[in-house]
Amino acid sequence: MELLERFIVAAGRAGARVVRCLDRTALVDYIARHAGGTVLLPDFAAGRRLQLAEALRQCGCEVVTEHFRAGAAQASAGVTGANFALADTGTVVLDSTDEALRLASTLPQRHFVVLDPRKILADGLAAVGPLRALHRRQSPDFIAFITGPSRTADIERVLTIGVHGPGELHILLLEGISDDPLES
Amino acid sequence: MSRQRSRDYQVRIDAALNATRQQDALHRFGDAYLEARQQALADLDFEALREAIAQLKDEVGRHRQQYLDQFIELAEKAGAQVYRAADASAANDYIVELARRRGAKLAVKSKSMASEEIGLNQALRTAGVEALETDLGEWIVQLAGQRPSHMVMPAIHMFRDEVAALFGQVTGQAEPADIEHLVAVARRQLRDKFLQADMGISGANLAVAETGALALVTNEGNARLVATLPPVHVVLVGIDKLVPTLEDAARVLQLLPRSATAQALTSYVSWIRGPVPHSDGAKELHIVLLDNGRSALAEAPDCKDALRCLKCGACANVCPVYQTIGGHVFGHTYVGAIGVVLTAFFNSLEAAAELVKACIGCRACVAVCPAKIDLEEIILQLRRRIGDQEGLGLGKSLVFRRVLRNRRLFHALLRSAAHLQKPVTGGRGSIRHLPLHFSSLTEWRTLPAIADKPLRDLMPSVEGQLSAPRLRVALFAGCATDFVHPRIGLSLVAVLNRCNIAVTLPQGQSCCGIPALYSGDRQTAVELARQNVRELLADDPAAVITACPTCSMALRQHFVELLQDDADYAEPARRLAAITYDAAVFIAEQLPELPAAASRGTVTYHDSCHLKRGCGVWRQPRQLLTGAGWRLQEMERADRCCGFGGSYSFASHPEISREITKDKVNAILRSGADVVAVDCPGCLIMLRGALEKRGLPQRVAHTMELLGEALDAAGEGG
Repeated sequence: MELLERFIVAAGRAGARVVRCLDRTALVDYIARHAGGTVLLPDFAAGRRLQLAEALRQCGCEVVTEHFRAGAAQASAGVTGANFALADTGTVVLDSTDEALRLASTLPQRHFVVLDPRKILADGLAAVGPLRALHRRQSPDFIAFITGPSRTADIERVLTIGVHGPGELHILLLEGISDDPLES
Repeated sequence: MSRQRSRDYQVRIDAALNATRQQDALHRFGDAYLEARQQALADLDFEALREAIAQLKDEVGRHRQQYLDQFIELAEKAGAQVYRAADASAANDYIVELARRRGAKLAVKSKSMASEEIGLNQALRTAGVEALETDLGEWIVQLAGQRPSHMVMPAIHMFRDEVAALFGQVTGQAEPADIEHLVAVARRQLRDKFLQADMGISGANLAVAETGALALVTNEGNARLVATLPPVHVVLVGIDKLVPTLEDAARVLQLLPRSATAQALTSYVSWIRGPVPHSDGAKELHIVLLDNGRSALAEAPDCKDALRCLKCGACANVCPVYQTIGGHVFGHTYVGAIGVVLTAFFNSLEAAAELVKACIGCRACVAVCPAKIDLEEIILQLRRRIGDQEGLGLGKSLVFRRVLRNRRLFHALLRSAAHLQKPVTGGRGSIRHLPLHFSSLTEWRTLPAIADKPLRDLMPSVEGQLSAPRLRVALFAGCATDFVHPRIGLSLVAVLNRCNIAVTLPQGQSCCGIPALYSGDRQTAVELARQNVRELLADDPAAVITACPTCSMALRQHFVELLQDDADYAEPARRLAAITYDAAVFIAEQLPELPAAASRGTVTYHDSCHLKRGCGVWRQPRQLLTGAGWRLQEMERADRCCGFGGSYSFASHPEISREITKDKVNAILRSGADVVAVDCPGCLIMLRGALEKRGLPQRVAHTMELLGEALDAAGEGG
């Protein structure tokens, strides 16, 4: 199976919603329709390239781009990119060293991830190279593997989604943004 | 002191046995876990991966100092403050002092078994700092004033109504016992605490020497908040979590979540190196590297494999003892089989002295361990240490040293027992009732009587067996076949004769020594190993066959290990090991084509622990039975322990055995089969006794008996 298909199946199995977006307009429209309130939009390469802040505002979204700590608890959604992804587990990998990226991807109920399908790698072992490269680039650093929404089974082993992290993970596939694992 | 300790332990077992709701939950969990785990591992080569993990962990064990130095250097270079804590109090002191210096009032915690191990919450509370657990299960357990009963699922012993009551005390209103609602309550209640906290405290699953980074493997997302929101992040991590490279870390990540929760990967894996930016000022990252007995464990040659542990909890999930009494009784900070071992090193041998006896020795944990730790073997070594330290108790010591080491005396006693038991057997083959305080042994099963004549007196002579045998093999009967069920041995002889193979029973053979070894009396086991090696090889047989898988493990593994430093016996022990076969394996090789037999009926097969997981044999008996005309109807979890465990079910833990046997009998009944085939005289004693006591008609027989009958029938038919 192709990496992309494997990724879509595995991410779906982990509870993520994977959406193939035809173009930038479709991607922005999807976020606007599903955000459900204030959107935290930190600074990241794909976001800049797609001019997401302007586009989302034009769709009527309330977009916050700084001072997340004060507003994060009330925000409904966060939007980030991804450095790369893993097909076998449906994981997106995000260098979250920048605190704004961490807050946007941990506190709100919904997390939207913009991913160029060319960044999908086979598995955790294939990820070692890019992971090592990220570590070499900067220090200190915080790199997050994210697989599906936040979950628990701590009460009677019943799987329940959305404990302390996002209850929804939307992975938006859009070609032609970047194939560089060093940027998100 | 140890008698009081044993009594206290027994009281806790009795209480756990009455907690039937917990037992049901742990059974359901164990069954669901096995299925889910199998699916999660479907695309991976589990054996190859766990071998790789064992090797990389052993590499760290051998060069501990080098990898520690490398990790510390790189973590410090990234800006972390690293402290090496020799023991629990050093770790607690460092963290408490840090909290004081920072003027911290509230610390939010993500799940850390190491912090449970050192009693960190208590130490912080004493210093006036509130340590708040934020992992859902940990929070529940904290509110209940308990400790986790499982390493991965801390509150697995609790139920939604209990959680609702606890949460109601926090919110000050009645909370409905609806799980989704309760999870939402936890999110709301804890969210502000994350934002207010002065400190975040977490554990770590990996410390990567190559990068100086820590990896946290979690599902709820609280660890990410603990690491991000407060200005100080303390990571308390055992030095056993070190791995050399990122490739090694990736391998661990392939098996850890699959083994822990049957997930391909958890929701989050966070790689943290150095203090990451914090918008309210400078961030501090403190790494407390905890030894607390780990170096001592690394230096113990017969136990050190336990340091490979990934803390996945799989050994508890599949453990019939854990499922019966739960982690609060079968464990300390760490639970299940690995808990027994870690308690001995992280706490004290004394603290583990009762726990080591609670293992029934079924090796279910060994089969699923992702770090390939032979937990049963390590627990046996600990039993020996405790036996050396505390003595075996007068009764056992007398039996093992005076009786078992002296074959003539042992066998003479067994023969006289056959006569003395007459009043309780009433001439039947089994004991249905025992008087006085022995009565608990026969309340739920009958016990087999000692046979009137042992196998050694019933053996046909070699000349009487065959005129021109193509092979001559020796039979190692084992005590149960020789003195309790000689029929099994006679059937085996008859089947081997059908293969034109003559059988001798060397008369000098004695007990295989396993009862002594498993009780911690190594010296008696060594004596018996020497006797048996000498007697079995005396006549230079082509092969040695046994119909008891426990004896088979003794001959093939334990004798070699027990005698490896014995100048006279090391080589003969290896030779004996090389020619010893389990009956079913040998016959499947010698008799590939069974004579076509008429349909014999429906049989279900019970895998004995020592045959399947000890000797790796499960196909051949099934193959022989179906080849002989039986229709095989598998029972659920055919390889779950029957509850026998030798002296476990007679002396040390009959009440736990009773529960485990009950599970097996229910599985047999649900299979609908008329006959249960087993390859172990111990399982046969246990299952026949339990079925008989309940007045159930199902027959339990050794595979060799069934095979002998089928061959007889086919012979008559032909």
